[in-house]
Amino acid sequence: MKPSPFEYVRATSVADAVKALAAHGDRAKLLAGGQSLIPMMNFRMVAPEVLIDIGNIPGLDEITIGDGSVQIGAGARHNVVMASDVVRQHCPLLADAYSHVAHFTIRNRGTIGGNICHHDPASEVPLVLTLLGASLVLAGPKGNRTVPADTFFLGMMETAIAEDEMLVRIDVPFQPAGEGWSFHEMSVRKGDYAIVCAAVRLTVKDGAFHDVRVGFNGAGTETKRMAGVEQALEGKPATDATIAAAVKVAVDLSDPSDDVQADAAYKRDLLSALGRRALEQARARASN
Amino acid sequence: MNVKAKAKKSIPASRQREVPGQDLKWIGQNMKRVEDPRLLVGEGEYADDIALANMLHAAVLASPHAHARIISIDVSKALALPGVHAVMTGEEVAKVTGPLPCFGSPPVEQRCVALGKVRHVGEPVAIVAADSRYIAEDAVGLIEVEYEQLPVVADLREAVHAKGAAVLHPERGDNNIALQRSFKFGTVDEDFANAKTIVKRTLRWPRSGAQPLETCGAVADFNRGSGKFTVHCNTSMYNYVGWLWAVSLNVPAHKLNIVPTMAGGSFGSKLFLHKVPIIAATLARKTGRPVKYLEDRLENLSSCDHHGSDRYYECELALDADNNMTALKCDVIDDYGAYFQFGIGHHGNALSQITGPYKIRSVEANITAVLTNKCQQGAYRGFGSEVSNFVLERMVDAACDELNLDRLAFRRQNFIKKAEFPYFIPTGNLYDSGDYEAVMDKAVGMLDLEGWRKKQAEALKEGRYIGIGLATCQERSVFSSTEFWSLNNVPGFTLTSSAEGVSVKLDALGNAVVKLQAPFWGNSPETMAVQILAEQLQLAPSAISVAYADTDSGLSGTGPGGSRYTVMIAGALVGASKIIRNKLFLLAGHLLQAGKDKLELRDGKVMVKGTEQGMSIADIAMQAHFFRLSFPDEPEFDTGLDANYTYDHPLTTLPSDDRTDLGIFYPIMGHMCHMPVIEVDIETGKITFLDYVAVHDCGTIVNPMTLAGHVRGGTAQGVGTALYEQYDYDEQGQFRSGSYADYLMPKVMEVPPNVRVGHVETPSPFTEYGIKGGGEGGRMGTPPALAGAIEDALRPLGVRIDALPVTPSKLRGLIRQAQAK
Repeated sequence: MKPSPFEYVRATSVADAVKALAAHGDRAKLLAGGQSLIPMMNFRMVAPEVLIDIGNIPGLDEITIGDGSVQIGAGARHNVVMASDVVRQHCPLLADAYSHVAHFTIRNRGTIGGNICHHDPASEVPLVLTLLGASLVLAGPKGNRTVPADTFFLGMMETAIAEDEMLVRIDVPFQPAGEGWSFHEMSVRKGDYAIVCAAVRLTVKDGAFHDVRVGFNGAGTETKRMAGVEQALEGKPATDATIAAAVKVAVDLSDPSDDVQADAAYKRDLLSALGRRALEQARARASN
Repeated sequence: MNVKAKAKKSIPASRQREVPGQDLKWIGQNMKRVEDPRLLVGEGEYADDIALANMLHAAVLASPHAHARIISIDVSKALALPGVHAVMTGEEVAKVTGPLPCFGSPPVEQRCVALGKVRHVGEPVAIVAADSRYIAEDAVGLIEVEYEQLPVVADLREAVHAKGAAVLHPERGDNNIALQRSFKFGTVDEDFANAKTIVKRTLRWPRSGAQPLETCGAVADFNRGSGKFTVHCNTSMYNYVGWLWAVSLNVPAHKLNIVPTMAGGSFGSKLFLHKVPIIAATLARKTGRPVKYLEDRLENLSSCDHHGSDRYYECELALDADNNMTALKCDVIDDYGAYFQFGIGHHGNALSQITGPYKIRSVEANITAVLTNKCQQGAYRGFGSEVSNFVLERMVDAACDELNLDRLAFRRQNFIKKAEFPYFIPTGNLYDSGDYEAVMDKAVGMLDLEGWRKKQAEALKEGRYIGIGLATCQERSVFSSTEFWSLNNVPGFTLTSSAEGVSVKLDALGNAVVKLQAPFWGNSPETMAVQILAEQLQLAPSAISVAYADTDSGLSGTGPGGSRYTVMIAGALVGASKIIRNKLFLLAGHLLQAGKDKLELRDGKVMVKGTEQGMSIADIAMQAHFFRLSFPDEPEFDTGLDANYTYDHPLTTLPSDDRTDLGIFYPIMGHMCHMPVIEVDIETGKITFLDYVAVHDCGTIVNPMTLAGHVRGGTAQGVGTALYEQYDYDEQGQFRSGSYADYLMPKVMEVPPNVRVGHVETPSPFTEYGIKGGGEGGRMGTPPALAGAIEDALRPLGVRIDALPVTPSKLRGLIRQAQAK
């Protein structure tokens, strides 16, 4: 389990990395925390000829407060994001979801940017960023551009990032005061990839659900948010009956597949159970 | 066993020299492991730590197919890669290296590199030696192989009927049945005919295996001048079966020296390593350079030759009108994979305790071993007995459910009673001693069963499902060797000894060096040796160091396996110590002018009994090594203070020719009671541990702390087998568990946070100090205890557990079915 030969380039700045990407084209891969890329190289599933190491770019791992958003540098390690007071205070859904992300040692090395760009369909962070309406700042040869999470995440392991671009920052808008949120996940073992996870944001006004955003991983659909489920909740009484009906919509809309660890029937059961639990918890957290 | 038959059977006299119940100083102490400091500072020497000058590195091209004929192999591009020194196909290897060792009878031919045909995914097809592992793997990628795919056999029940091109080893006949044999012990037909109740179940035990932190590895060197191999390897039984490597390598055994490295975390999986060292040695002879071959994780998972049992059972249990269990019938199909290195030794093992702690008087076992396109079976903690424990305890729980009996009371009624030992079971094996009620009573008390029953009832009112499990299982220990061959149609290689040697030397300063004939394999062999020798010679533990013999210097030895090592090394050390004590007393008696019978060992000194007069062992040792002329000119006073001693198995007899009696072959019988408390989330199928009590009786305990470590680690492995782990093959024999993202071991969050361990000590009348083995116990009791706990939790829904592992997806499926009723 050793990788094919490759050339190693250490980038010292974003401009440096973008220049190297331009020079090497599709022969190159960016190396951040390496928690997915290196195992794939060791299994020889991928064989980049050039690795551009962005792990030493000063400032790429900073977490700061912007105008109504938390700005997370793409190089921030998972454990740093998870432990960040700023994140916990302003984006509690992201902090909650992080308690399910991988194992401690992996979170020590893995970066939020690498996680997002890898875009494993079972990964928690892309789902949560989509619900939070995050923006992804990409640096390219022509300068920076910003892509909303809604259009950044494409199919399985696909994103809107171009070959000559790198992700430099994630801007996550503050969750408004009084909002309810929840994140529930089932994996075979703690820290494994989720079989199913459910994420919810909503508010409760005059006994009804509003501003509802609901999304799942493991439902077999590539879009993370489920518009049908959101419609089944938006403006409806914040009752168990509404939740039950919405969860049923989620199951009906889903199209999960069998895999070694879990069959489709199980995934539908989880969508139902975790969807309900997440909605109930979000409702309880929302201030009336 | 009825009284008349028992009267005919004789039990060989006990050879116990050190009786239980003595006032002991070192045995029984919670001594910290003497192995730990060097492991903790990273200075234990593992196979991968070995680096010889000019060493090359090997890599293996593994078969991507489960079953295929090899049409052609083109190695030219690989050979042309700079840094590559050799590329060998199966054909080239076969010119110099023979088949791998096999205890099956008749043997099933296995090669270290496939010859003509591949029989499972991961089987070596070609081997490379290069300047680095990186280059070796690059070269592997350049080898071109043309295959013709053959029909795949991946299901154990279909394997029974396979014919023609689907047959793995046509030279053995047109079928994939490795061995099929029926055994009847006692009046089984009569007992079933007279039964009041017959309980039937179909049960499935999944293929799992040990997961060593360091995979199998070897560094081989070949001296062209002497024609001798030196192989450093992390194997366990090198003094027992290492000479069989020499047979494969076509050299006499004295032309192969095996040097053991740390073999930690083996749990059986490195018991009988052969493919890895023989690949390394074959490449070393070809290149004239030392070669290291260390499996990577994928190779270990897919091709380590040590997958665990994989069985399908149809079982019947007969009970009389008083609810006494009288007879057990098991039809079992066992999926052995592509080869058959141990034959059906695993079933021999199981027959040593097939009736568990119960007075079941007759047994029928119909065993069908099949060959399939999977990695072959080897050893994994329990060696087949963990499966029969699961099966029997499932049948016992099933009987309780069908007859509405209390799981504790039913067991108590059927237990062999303390006064009935030594006790012959129907297969002919003997249980030396036991007190099963004491073990169960202790577990029930430690758990606070009544308290948990109340919490369970309260939780149910809130819609929470708590379950309490119970397993009362045997823990056979001290492997002897007849199980390897007693079930074969043609016995073949009829081993009858599985001895254990030790060398003890007192140096000129009176400190001891103990040389073991077995490696460090993750247990505490050094700690055991130190505690026992300290007791025997009344030395401080710090005055004892432990080393490992290579095969050139080693005595006869078997090594770890079958929970034997502590008992066997105790026997060897008692024998060696007696020789040394005699010599000490002889020399001291002469110097002190006292008769030998007036002397005793006390705190590092030889003392005249009842006096303060004596000499330190250090002073005597100095005399023994350097001052020969201080003593009479008799040979018994000759220079030196050392002993070699080889201890044979304490109690074993031969099977009868017709195999209605398998003889005494696994008599040192431990026992355990496991009681987990779990909660099931019925919506997700997730299981959470709330409590776990494990009480074990392993006879006299040498070190309660290390024994408790065994129990906890074994319990974690049992959790893995019961709830998580499985080597998964699809219908085409493709291996879907090639990494730890797919082969799911429980981690710290999935095992009970605190396994509360209790000990009961019922000494063996046959072993030194009454010690019994305890190396495999946890894993032998946890699976049935957990299956019972899940059923107990879901009793309101009526869920039955017949197959493992009970993954969340599968458990939720069972709950869904139950809810739909």
